[in-house]
Amino acid sequence: MTILVFTLILLVGAYAAGLLGSLTGLGGGVIVIPLLTLLLGIDFQYAVGAALVASIATSSGSGSAYVKEGFTNIRLGMFLEIATCIGAAIGAYIAVWLDNNIIAVIFGLVLILTAANQLRKKVDHGEVKGSDTAHRLKLFGTYPQPDGTHKAYQLTHVGAGFSLMTVAGALSGILGIGSGVLKVLAMDTLMKVPFKVSTTTSNFMMGVTAVTSAVVYLGRGNIEPGIAFPILVGVLCGALTGARLLRKLDVRLLRRIFSIAILLVAANMIWNGFAGKF
Amino acid sequence: MKDLRNTIARTLRLGVTVSFALTLLGGVVYLLHHGGEAAPDYSTFNGPSVEYTTLRGILGGAFHLTAYGLIQIGVVALLLTPIMRVVLSLFDFVRQHDWLYATITSIVLAVILVNSLSSPL
Repeated sequence: MTILVFTLILLVGAYAAGLLGSLTGLGGGVIVIPLLTLLLGIDFQYAVGAALVASIATSSGSGSAYVKEGFTNIRLGMFLEIATCIGAAIGAYIAVWLDNNIIAVIFGLVLILTAANQLRKKVDHGEVKGSDTAHRLKLFGTYPQPDGTHKAYQLTHVGAGFSLMTVAGALSGILGIGSGVLKVLAMDTLMKVPFKVSTTTSNFMMGVTAVTSAVVYLGRGNIEPGIAFPILVGVLCGALTGARLLRKLDVRLLRRIFSIAILLVAANMIWNGFAGKF
Repeated sequence: MKDLRNTIARTLRLGVTVSFALTLLGGVVYLLHHGGEAAPDYSTFNGPSVEYTTLRGILGGAFHLTAYGLIQIGVVALLLTPIMRVVLSLFDFVRQHDWLYATITSIVLAVILVNSLSSPL
């Protein structure tokens, strides 16, 4: 295979990853890793570097619109980034001691959680009585409604959410993905943040979290230019197309199909990991 | 809050655009020079290479418009985008005399900086 063909394959794959990542809200990294490791036989070490690039690209590329429209809770994101960044720094250090096969199994387990979360019914919490800590940290906010008004919300269980965020950060540091599933679980299930706010804030935090570990990975040689180029360009273009389509398409069916696909990939990862194939 | 939102949105968009342009330029140079060669073996990890994993190597390469230098400087621009977002938020919280959030933002920045210092970059 020539470099040109290899690059074109990666460009197409990364475009699909960016597109699907933005339509399903999972980010590009989750798709980039299996694409590189399972389909193209690339070493996990390079895949994690590529996933970091993809995660930062999706977060920054799609983040600007959500921030502008006022869905993202900037204070909440900022506060929880303390936890995710410390977690990411720890994760990047743990990763050195982990064998590729163990990383594959961890990735498979995170994928199963991700699929389960995608299939879970989303119910918006009714009137949430916010906690004192959340109030003191000025974490309450408002978010836009379809009719143009803003709805106020409160939130609770800040300590528990913060702790789970550290774990999310550590996983992100080990795998290179945004680990959106843990962030959404922490904000949505524990802290009772409205769903649209927790997904956009999770996406917002992904960039800073990924950068914390990416700085280390760049120095270690995990971010290989020949892979980073098609991944960065492809994922960004895909994410942009996805953001446009998202306004017109009903993505519920796509998300269901995709959850099944994720489960299959997860099984494959865990199986190959235990078999020592990576 | 609205000002801060617009600043953050603009920073993210600008950073992503610059990063995209640099990486694409580097990628085109890369394909023009090496497109016909056999693809490198990525099936085993080779570890760092001075050319594109040290800041000096990347800056030098970008300065001489080498393919690897340009692609990696694009990656560095991508990494700087969220960091710039944190720095600008810090300025904004200070301007608003929101000391609680100025402190929180500084802690995030400190974690990133301390961690980068320990990087082999």
